[in-house]
Amino acid sequence: MAESPQEVKEQEDKELREIFPLFKSWRGLYTFVLAELVVLIILFYLFSRYFS
Amino acid sequence: MSTIDWLIMIGTTLLIVSYGVWKSRGSKDIKGYLLSNKDMKWWTIGLSVMATQASAITFLSTPGQGFNDGMRFVQFYFGLPIAMVIICVVAIPIYHRLNVFTAYEYLESRFDLKTRTLGAVLFLLSRSLAAGMTIYAPAIILATLLDWNIYWTCVAIGLIVIIYTVSGGTKAVSVTQKQQMAMILFGMVVAGVIMVFKLPPEVSFGDAVHIAGKMGKLNVITTEFDLTDRYNIWSGLLAGTFLYLSYFGTDQSQVQRYLGGKSISEMRIGLLFNAIFKVPMQFLILFLGVMMFVFFQFQQPPIFFNENETQSVLSNPDLTDQYQGLQQSWDSIYTAKQDRLIALAAAPNDIGDANEFVEINALQAQYDTVRRQAKALLKANNEYYDDNDSDQVFLTFILNHLPQGLVGLLIAVILAAAMSSTSAELNALATTTVVDIIRRMFIRSGSDQHFLNISRITTLCWGILAIGVALFANQVGNLIQAVNILGSLFYGTILGLFVVAFFFKHIKGTAVFWAGVIVELLTIGAYIMTKLKPEWDFGFLWYNLIGCALVVVLAMLFQSVAKE
Repeated sequence: MAESPQEVKEQEDKELREIFPLFKSWRGLYTFVLAELVVLIILFYLFSRYFS
Repeated sequence: MSTIDWLIMIGTTLLIVSYGVWKSRGSKDIKGYLLSNKDMKWWTIGLSVMATQASAITFLSTPGQGFNDGMRFVQFYFGLPIAMVIICVVAIPIYHRLNVFTAYEYLESRFDLKTRTLGAVLFLLSRSLAAGMTIYAPAIILATLLDWNIYWTCVAIGLIVIIYTVSGGTKAVSVTQKQQMAMILFGMVVAGVIMVFKLPPEVSFGDAVHIAGKMGKLNVITTEFDLTDRYNIWSGLLAGTFLYLSYFGTDQSQVQRYLGGKSISEMRIGLLFNAIFKVPMQFLILFLGVMMFVFFQFQQPPIFFNENETQSVLSNPDLTDQYQGLQQSWDSIYTAKQDRLIALAAAPNDIGDANEFVEINALQAQYDTVRRQAKALLKANNEYYDDNDSDQVFLTFILNHLPQGLVGLLIAVILAAAMSSTSAELNALATTTVVDIIRRMFIRSGSDQHFLNISRITTLCWGILAIGVALFANQVGNLIQAVNILGSLFYGTILGLFVVAFFFKHIKGTAVFWAGVIVELLTIGAYIMTKLKPEWDFGFLWYNLIGCALVVVLAMLFQSVAKE
C-alpha cells in the first residue's frame, strides 16, 4: 500500500533526526539554510559599508 | 621548483590517486561503477559536489578576481543556497523514487525518448569541450610559470585522471575528491596565513583589512540593478538561482555525485552542506585575493603577471624603450605608495579614519594607468595576447613568496582541483553516453559485466578526447571564454525541460521537445547577434533565466495549440 505524503514526510524527518538531531524536520533545515543566506547578505552589506 | 617541492607534489598526488583506486577496487556491476552501489554518506557527497564545481581555474582565478576586482564576485554564489533547497524539495525525491542513473532518464519517464535524448545530447555537447578545458586551463598556467611543456602537462594530468576514473568509476571519483577537497582547503588556509604573516611588522591584520577597504576592494554587495553588470546582488539571487538549479539539478556531472547517496537524506544533506558552506568559502577565497592585493602593496608586483608576454615585449626593439619607461614610472609610484602606507600603519591613529587615502588612491589610479599603458604595448607586440593575467597572480605569489615544500603542496592542490573536476566530467559523460544513448538506443540487452566494460571503454574514450581538446586548445584564440559561454548557452534550455517536467504536469513531450529545440536555436542566434552588435550584449548569467522561461512559455503555447 502506498504511503501518504504525511507518512513520507514523517519518515524523512525521522531519517534527518537520526543523522542530525539538531534539526527536527527538513523544513527546519531548509529555513536554517535560507536564513543563513539572509544573515550573510546583511553581514556582507554591513562589512562593505564599514570598510568602504 | 626545488627537489623537495617535486617530491611533495608527486607524493601527494600519487597518494590520493592510489587511495581512490584502492578504495574503489572490485566494482563488478554497472550500478557499483556508475552509482557507487548507492552507499555514499553525506560528507562524501558534500565534498564531492564541492570539488566537482571547484576546478583548478577556480582556485587560481578566484584569488586573482579578489586581487583585481575586490569581493563583489561572491554575489555570483547567492543563488546557490536557494537552488539547493529547491533541488532537495523537488528533484531529489523524484530521482530517488525512479532509481535513475542519469537525470535525463527522468525526462523519458515524464515525457518521451526524444526529450530525454535532447537533454542528454545538450549535456554531452556542453560538457565534452569543458572537460578538455578543465585540463588545459590550469596546464597552460603551470606550464607558463614553471616552464613545463604544455603538451606533457596536459597528457600527464589527463592520464592520471583516466587511470583512476576508468578503474574505479564513481566511487573512485568521489573518494579522491574528498581527499582533494580537504587538501585544497588546507592549502588555501596555509597560503592565507603566510600571506598575513609576511606583511611588514608595522601592518597588522586589522590595518590590512582597512587598507583593502579604503582602496575599494571590500565591495561585497552591489545593489544597483544593471543587466550588463555580471556581479550584483540581483543577478546573483535571480539569474544565479537559475544557473545553479540547472547546474546542480540537471547537469549529470553534479547529479551523479548525489545519486550515489545511501538514502534520500544523505543526498539532501550532501547538497545542503554546500548550501551552507559554499558562500562563506568563496568569501574567504576572495578575501585571500584581497589580502594578496594588500600584500603586493608592500612587495612590488610586476606590471603584468604573465612573464612570457613581458619578456616578449622587452625583446621587441620597437617597444623596449617605451616599456622600460613605464617600468620606471611603475617603480616610483610603487615606492611612493608603499612609503605612505607604512607611515600610516606606523602612526598611532586608527588607519580606518585616515584621510591620507585620497592621496594613496590617487597613486593607485596612476598605477592602474601605467598598467593599462603597458597592456597596450603588450597588445601592440602581440595582437592575440590574453590581457587577463588574474589567473597568474596567485601562482606568482605561491612561487615567489612561499617557503620550500609549501610550493610543492600548493602546486599539488592546483593539480588536485584540475583532476577532481575532470574526473567527475569524464564519469558523467561516460554515464550519459552509456545509459541514455548506447543502452537505451543501440544495445538494449546484455550482462552487467558487458555494460561495465562498455562504461570503462567509454570513460577511456572521453578521457582521450578531453586530452585531445586540451592539446589543441592553444590553437584556438580565447577558448576558455568560449567554453564558459558555451555552457551558459545550453543550461537555460536544459533547465527549462526539467522545470516543465516538474511543475507543468499538463504539458506533454512533443510540446516541450520543440520548445527546447527552438529556444536552443534562439539562444545561439541571440549570442551570435550580441557578437555582431556588442551594444546588445548582456551578462551571460541571464541566458539561464531567459532560456528557461522561454522554454516554459513556448511549451505551454505549443501544448494549448496541440489541444485545440
